[in-house]
Amino acid sequence: MSVYLITGATSDVGFELIKTVAKDGDKFLLQGYSDSGKLKVFCAENNIDYRYFDVDLTDNAATDKFMAQLKDCETPTHFVHLPALRVVNTKFKNFDEERFLLDVNVQIMSAVKICKYILPKMAKAKFGRVLFMATSYVLANPPKNTAAYIMTKNAVVGLVKSLAADYAANGITVNSVSPSMIETKFLAETSHLIVEAAANEHPMKRNAQVNDVVPAMAFLLSEEARFITGVNLPITGGSVIE
Amino acid sequence: MTREDIFAQLTEIFQDVFDDDEIVLTDDTTADDIEDWDSLEQINLLVAIEKQFKIKFQLADVSNLENVGAMVDLVEKLVG
Repeated sequence: MSVYLITGATSDVGFELIKTVAKDGDKFLLQGYSDSGKLKVFCAENNIDYRYFDVDLTDNAATDKFMAQLKDCETPTHFVHLPALRVVNTKFKNFDEERFLLDVNVQIMSAVKICKYILPKMAKAKFGRVLFMATSYVLANPPKNTAAYIMTKNAVVGLVKSLAADYAANGITVNSVSPSMIETKFLAETSHLIVEAAANEHPMKRNAQVNDVVPAMAFLLSEEARFITGVNLPITGGSVIE
Repeated sequence: MTREDIFAQLTEIFQDVFDDDEIVLTDDTTADDIEDWDSLEQINLLVAIEKQFKIKFQLADVSNLENVGAMVDLVEKLVG
């Protein structure tokens, strides 16, 4: 029996991941913010044993409250961290420091707090799978005007490598995936021209779909991936080749 | 909206996107005339123009624009 803690679970990737990894007896601790309706219906329809936490991860006090709630739950065997504020294309001269710090709270500080709590418990259990969502933008030249997003995602990759080094001896793997542009509701504030241009420039002449990415994530969460840690896996369809 | 109005607003957008208050646009201005005008900045320009004029471009219509004059023509057509 596995206990999955998934933050950003109301995302399109979150839904597909739950659907892909769920087995009888598994439990899911799911965090989202203000958009849980569809998730609750989905979990009911698919007989998912879940507990939902509505938490604004931009707010440190809300995250601390969430941590207190987590301490009353079964210790997760798997932790998947998906949330991010939506990408805003902004020239650097207009860099929004306040929004950047909110994104740091969402992508980094919340993960740090959760990892500080669950990784020692996973270490005692001699098993754990931790997986983060990065982006192919950290693999090659990033696009212009995305400094905030690039900085936070590089911090995610730094956290992955550090945690992987710290916990490799304890049966815990810590990895990230770096997909190229995935067509999901995350792109709601991205111009259709940017999305279409990305597809046009892609070797396969299309952007990634959720089901191009989630199977690789499920593998990294599996028992079979026990010897893979500290990896940032490109899922790019050839748009970035390292 | 007159062609001159569109030119004036486009000039402001170009100056903002390329961070250069000295940019002066003509019908014949092309990417060769503005140092940082590459394919990525082209998309940023188009996104800013869509927002300013409340219009929506099709990628096929904007991928072969020859110069600023063609861009103004397209904006004029879409603004209606």
